[in-house]
Amino acid sequence: MTFLAFSPLQAALLALLTGGLVIALYFLKLRHRRVMISSSILWRKVLDERQAHSLWEKLRKIFSIIVAVTITLLIALSLARPEIESLTGKNERIVIVLDTSPTMSTQTADGRTRWQHAVERAETLLDGGGPTTEFRVVDTSGETASAFTTNRGDARSLIEQMSPRSAEPQFPKVDGRDSRVYFVSDGVALHGVPSFVRRVSVFEPAQNVGITAFEIRSIPSTPLGYEAYLEVQNYGNPTDVVITLSAPGGQRLTRNVRLSKEEIFKDAFDLSRFAGGGIRATIQSKDDALSLDDVAFAYLPVKRKTRTLLVTKGNNYLETLLKLDNYVEFLKVDTANYREASNIDAYIFDRFAPPTPPSRPALIIGAPNVAWLRTPNGIVQKPEFTTWSEDHPIMQFVSVHDVSIERATQVDPTNLTVIAASKQTPLILASEKPRWVMLTFDLDSSDFAFHVGFPVFIENVLAWFSREQLALRRSPGTVEVPLANAQVRTIDGKAVSASQQLGKTFFEAAEPGLYVATQGDNRVHVAVNLANRSFSDVNQSVFKDDRAAAGQRYWLRRELWFYMLLAAVVLVGVEWFTYHRRITL
Amino acid sequence: MSTANVTLFDDEFLKKLEYLNIISKRLFAGQLRAERRTRRRGTGLEFADYRAYVPGDDFRHLDWKAYLRLNRLILKLFEEEEDLPIYFFVDSSQSMNYGNPSKLDYARRVAAALSYIGLANLDRVNIVSFADGVKGELQPQRGKGRIFKIFRFLTDMTAGGETNARESFKTYCTETRRRGLAVVISDFFDQHGFETALDVLRHFRHDIFVLHIASHEEIDPPLKGELQLVDSESQLGREITITPSLLAAYRAEFLRYCESLESYCGKYQLGYVRTATDFPFEELVLKVFRQGRFLK
Repeated sequence: MTFLAFSPLQAALLALLTGGLVIALYFLKLRHRRVMISSSILWRKVLDERQAHSLWEKLRKIFSIIVAVTITLLIALSLARPEIESLTGKNERIVIVLDTSPTMSTQTADGRTRWQHAVERAETLLDGGGPTTEFRVVDTSGETASAFTTNRGDARSLIEQMSPRSAEPQFPKVDGRDSRVYFVSDGVALHGVPSFVRRVSVFEPAQNVGITAFEIRSIPSTPLGYEAYLEVQNYGNPTDVVITLSAPGGQRLTRNVRLSKEEIFKDAFDLSRFAGGGIRATIQSKDDALSLDDVAFAYLPVKRKTRTLLVTKGNNYLETLLKLDNYVEFLKVDTANYREASNIDAYIFDRFAPPTPPSRPALIIGAPNVAWLRTPNGIVQKPEFTTWSEDHPIMQFVSVHDVSIERATQVDPTNLTVIAASKQTPLILASEKPRWVMLTFDLDSSDFAFHVGFPVFIENVLAWFSREQLALRRSPGTVEVPLANAQVRTIDGKAVSASQQLGKTFFEAAEPGLYVATQGDNRVHVAVNLANRSFSDVNQSVFKDDRAAAGQRYWLRRELWFYMLLAAVVLVGVEWFTYHRRITL
Repeated sequence: MSTANVTLFDDEFLKKLEYLNIISKRLFAGQLRAERRTRRRGTGLEFADYRAYVPGDDFRHLDWKAYLRLNRLILKLFEEEEDLPIYFFVDSSQSMNYGNPSKLDYARRVAAALSYIGLANLDRVNIVSFADGVKGELQPQRGKGRIFKIFRFLTDMTAGGETNARESFKTYCTETRRRGLAVVISDFFDQHGFETALDVLRHFRHDIFVLHIASHEEIDPPLKGELQLVDSESQLGREITITPSLLAAYRAEFLRYCESLESYCGKYQLGYVRTATDFPFEELVLKVFRQGRFLK
């Protein structure tokens, strides 16, 4: 027997003190009431007879003191929180890590899900251990991490509140030195499990076809032309799959394919017939066990002509380019006649800049010396593009690595986004607010206008200025939007709670879906899709051959002190009953 | 009626007692003429026999009709009616001062009633108060007029001392040789046993009648809890916890004790009546004693 609250010496002292006190009090009990009787002849006879013939008569005199001492010892020792390993188990710590990765939503043959099996196994682990065993429940989504507790009810209710998340799972930081760690998982999404972790497998093979990639991308050769790229993979037995792309306007594309085991279907769908808005891709196949990867979302920008005013003293190449663009409503004005107009979507200033910034976005070619732009610091001869940002929307499908420049203006890029630069000076700069893009070189002193990427660049710039952007692609979980104080809604208009941090907006997207973040005039679409091969491949488990680990179950479900107090209460009842019935003395 | 009489019983009860007579199973030789038949021939009213006249006989008893027929003097003999010595041994030990009413009070009243019956029948009534020895003794009384003396003696009787009936009876009987009816009124709580005491009376060839008095508190003790029982005679205490089973054992023991006394009396053909102090006194005297053929 060990004690959790006291040392063995302290517990022994406590027992001795309380036992001694009770015995002392027993002998200091109240004197018997004197009662005069006529004669004690018969009483003496009765008492002598009973004492002589009954062992119980001899014992019951000490029965009460034994019971009283036992009661006080039980109470005193219960304060010391004793434990007997064979009855209650030892005082240990168990960490139950539940895999909340999306694959845990996979259905099993019995119609339940791997998650439901995992909950069952976790509760079995909770039933194990002794009454002093402390439990901690943690998930792999980072949302649940309880403290150690002996209250199984709390741990159980916490588990019941948990559910699989679409977010990328991550094995939590747990200390295996002073705890036994169980990981209840299907072993699909999380592979890097520490060696000290005991694995409890809920894996069961399942049929699954999933969308592993879905995005809408512009067609470089076609301004405002978009296509949807879709990738579907079969992770089960050969099956027929119905692929459907649908838009809110009723447009729909359907394709039936048969996929053999592990076969990947990849195709680009022409969306020229689609008006724009949210695009939903769904797949249907027989006995599909995981529904999360059967749907994906994207956003198709609404097609609209950009009213563009070119302010120049004359630039035939630019004029021709803009006139040929079907999605540009071209207007031209001489620099001397420039007046700001309210119906313009975008300005292109060729070697010119107004003294005050325009109210609409502007592309400034060359680096005029005006106050609201950067003041030129000098001229750089023959600068070369050494760095450029391919991720920026205006550089999409644009290559500048072989562009020759005679000279460029040197400017300070502080607080501006450098899109492309030479070693000496930025060559393409962008400002978010007010929105403008500036080339620090003019088209006459470079061959940029003769490159195939230039029309794409102009298209990208106009699109960045005024056209709707393609949706940001995100995975389920915590989604970051590069907009400060944005309001987030689903594509159906339902508000989603969001938080602000470091000039960005964050919100939780538990399920795949299409979201809209709005901040003033700025609007960003966010397509949250599972689209992840490691999630869809529900049969790729490292737990396949694992046997279930189970905690040892002990006879007593509570700490020993509880039963000791219970026994003390029962003994008090027994003593009260027997004493008042004069069974004991 | 004196004050003592008032405390014992009323006049109406006395009148009832006058019609009663104490029965003795044996015939004893009396000293004085009374209403009790004896073996001796005497001057009673009951004819007994004839015998030839001898000089000196009382010629008043000559049967003159027989003389005329037989021409012989024949004397009629009558049964001699003598008194009966009745000894009332009243236990006045401390244990008799127990119960409500106390056993001694009850014993007083029974002794007074029986004494009155004896006096009314011209018996010689002796009352002996005993405990660990003879505490007091009332010289033989005869005639109803002596009842007040008896009352006074009984009223003055006080409880005290331990019981030693054997020594008491032995002392008294060795001093008083005349046999008679010995009525022992006691609770029979005697450390030395009741058998040896009654054996003494039997040895002196007394006709013995035993009246065993118990109080209700002795029959069914109203005791409960942790107690120190103190013997009223020895003043010795004993700590005890009264339990239902212990009470039952006591009641059984009390019953066994009574039965052993009754059995003893039956064995030696002694009269035995057991009564409790809460039993109506008049009923005991007028009914129970008559049913027990102690009175007629």
